Amino acid sequence: MRGIWPWLATVARLVLGTVWVVAGASKVGDLAASGRAVNAYRLLPYDAATFLGAVLPFLEITLGALLILGLATRLAAVVSAVLLAAFIIGIASAWIRGLRIDCGCFGGGGDLAAGQRPQYLSATIRDIVLFALAGYLAVFPRTRISLDASILDGGRDR
Amino acid sequence: MNKRVAQKQANRVVREQLTAERRRTRTLWITIGAALVLLVAGIVGWGVYKSQQPETFAAPAGVTDVGGDKAGLTVAGGGSVPVEVYLDFLCPHCRDFEASTSDTLNQLAAQNKIHLVWHTLGFLDSASAPPGYSTRAANAAACASDGGKLAQYGAALFANQPAEGGPGLTDDQLVDLGGPVGLNAPSFAQCVRNGTYEPWVANVNAEAAQRNVNSTPTVYVDGKLLDNPTADNIRAAVSAAS
Repeated sequence: MRGIWPWLATVARLVLGTVWVVAGASKVGDLAASGRAVNAYRLLPYDAATFLGAVLPFLEITLGALLILGLATRLAAVVSAVLLAAFIIGIASAWIRGLRIDCGCFGGGGDLAAGQRPQYLSATIRDIVLFALAGYLAVFPRTRISLDASILDGGRDR
Repeated sequence: MNKRVAQKQANRVVREQLTAERRRTRTLWITIGAALVLLVAGIVGWGVYKSQQPETFAAPAGVTDVGGDKAGLTVAGGGSVPVEVYLDFLCPHCRDFEASTSDTLNQLAAQNKIHLVWHTLGFLDSASAPPGYSTRAANAAACASDGGKLAQYGAALFANQPAEGGPGLTDDQLVDLGGPVGLNAPSFAQCVRNGTYEPWVANVNAEAAQRNVNSTPTVYVDGKLLDNPTADNIRAAVSAAS
């Protein structure tokens, strides 16, 4: 990989990492609300939803930090892709079942009040784009300005 | 081929193999370390959530088990048909609901046709800055329930509803709202300022979520969800249930 590609991958890494940190930070202040947002999808039993709701914000912030630092990029990208695939399935299933919920992607969540329109299309498109970034990084995890590069290449015996 | 050149080439191949080997080992350890960090982050999240959920809590005087374990407050009425309102004192639609239905509900309660229950939620805690007004207001309403003035104090909370995104009413303002409706006892002010029933509000939130109540206002009549809770529809549902 030469030329501009590792730089584009760096941009992808920073974009994905920033989205994770922002998404996690928006939920971490009210973990009970995060659990209710998961529960509003009506896909999981209440206890499982509260568990996921409490774990996700911390996981998202940590994933974001790994990506921004460029540490264990392949692992972070694979975990990101798995999470995003789950989100896409969750949103699509809410859409198909005709639920009227806020996706809770960046805080909030729950049923919408009368007159509010669900934003399923934009949320799905956004998650598919992020999934593509994660998939690209999983295949080509070597990027510029990353801790991975400095640890692996910088520490080489010369 | 010159022997020395061949030797040099062989040395280089070995060096490159060693370097590649070292890279693989380092990548493996970085990956294992990062996986552990992610695992720990998840465990921390669960631990923080658990530590935030009170195991025991004080419940206000008017607490009822209608709609869940200690999940609501009796507002008025001793009728046989429970009418449950899930509300958040920061939610504008709840204020509109209260304005358009309170006459009907109070009348039905006064005729002892219904048992009016409020589930006072803190769902919109993150919609005030600093967060937490919903829970503080719900706590104050629970304090008013102790003083026997829940209906009047709830109406005052809606009449003085702050805008979303702002700080909400201060504790002093919440205390002052009690004065005109007869909540003058120091115990009321103390209850509001101490957040005595905030752990109980968290219980109301959890009981509501377990019932798949995810938004406010939500109305149940006789244990059944009422889709479009206008005054007329509530009256009709109560007639059908009694």
